[in-house]
Amino acid sequence: EAVVSTQSTGFRTVDVDAYDEDNYEDDARDTGDSGAAEVTERANQVRGLLNQLKTKEALKMALKNPPVGNKDASVKEQNYETVVSVLKSFKAADIDAAVADLDMVEIDILMKYLYKGFTCSPDKAASLLQWHEKVVAKGGLGSIVRVMVDRKGI
Amino acid sequence: SPLEDRFAVGSGARLLSICYFDPEHNWWVSKHIKKPIRSTILCVDWHPSNHLVAIGSCDFKCRVFCSALKELGDKPQTSNWMPKLNKFGTLLAEFDTNNGWVHGVQFSPSGNQLAWVAHDSSVNVVNSANLTKVHTVLTSNLPYSCLLWMSESSFAAAGFNYCPDLYTVTADGVTFTAKMDVKKEKSGGGAAMSAMARFQKLDVQGQSETGGTTVDTTHENCITEIRALSRNPATGAVSKFSTSGKDGRLVIWNFDALSSSLGGLKI
Repeated sequence: EAVVSTQSTGFRTVDVDAYDEDNYEDDARDTGDSGAAEVTERANQVRGLLNQLKTKEALKMALKNPPVGNKDASVKEQNYETVVSVLKSFKAADIDAAVADLDMVEIDILMKYLYKGFTCSPDKAASLLQWHEKVVAKGGLGSIVRVMVDRKGI
Repeated sequence: SPLEDRFAVGSGARLLSICYFDPEHNWWVSKHIKKPIRSTILCVDWHPSNHLVAIGSCDFKCRVFCSALKELGDKPQTSNWMPKLNKFGTLLAEFDTNNGWVHGVQFSPSGNQLAWVAHDSSVNVVNSANLTKVHTVLTSNLPYSCLLWMSESSFAAAGFNYCPDLYTVTADGVTFTAKMDVKKEKSGGGAAMSAMARFQKLDVQGQSETGGTTVDTTHENCITEIRALSRNPATGAVSKFSTSGKDGRLVIWNFDALSSSLGGLKI
């Protein structure tokens, strides 16, 4: 005769952490970065620079002050599109020079956008990987670590 | 603690306990500091005055608390860290490390500076003369887990990059100075390794497949602790230190010997 447990084992699947009153919650801080207006303005300026074939300047402008703290996802999307449009405009041979021009903060921001690209635009993976290789050469594993530990998402 | 009359324990219960022996009642007492710590404490360090404690925790912050106890007859002095006398448990300073758990924290030998390393691969230093200005280096290597002040103007940090790195601190900020693992040429040994040696190597490096990577650092896995072994009696600077890591190795580094091979490095 099989032994059957008379007690429910449902308790094993209870999410104990959900009942913890002291659970860590991120601060909802106002970090003072780009609002919707600034993002739109930036998109226009970047488009202008790209039209003049000033790709390096366009890249620097696109990476400025990302809307990290902004609760509006569409604002973040718009900035992401701006960055992607710049990355697309580069010829493979010019990537090196552009990356060399960036400082460590811009490198970190670019790395975050690259990883966002891997998830959101897998069709562009090939060109993103080209950028990734060059950015890692400058930013090292540290810049990748900072993408992984980032809590707010770009 | 520096006077060895008490000890501090940071725990996953999100609180810091300052513990001492009470001879009157013949038992050990612990006083808790809970607010505003919001997650597991990963590292603790005493200030040389015996009255202040710094902690690093998983809520991405580095904090300094007053830990002076009336019960032990403490008579704390005011300082840049504590401009007016505060009671036990008062938060004196709080620093944000962007996004990383704070793995290691240490006061400089004088206690005037505080350095911490975090999981976002950052190295941070603040001088109590100006608590609003934190100097940060966003490194390009894997995060550090521990650090050791070598002198008042330099410290060594070690961690997931398997190698102690030296950083120099000046009034303008902190800069990376040198990797301290100067490896001599590794002798062959690749081809004719016994099966036992192969498995041992994998275990030490924490790998599960024969990827065949040989590391060129003395440590073959994450360094978890770095401690001073001996100091120069005249300057107080660290002359020998030890590191231990997940590869099961305890390595003793002779800084004086290192500095000559690194081109006359000074701390």
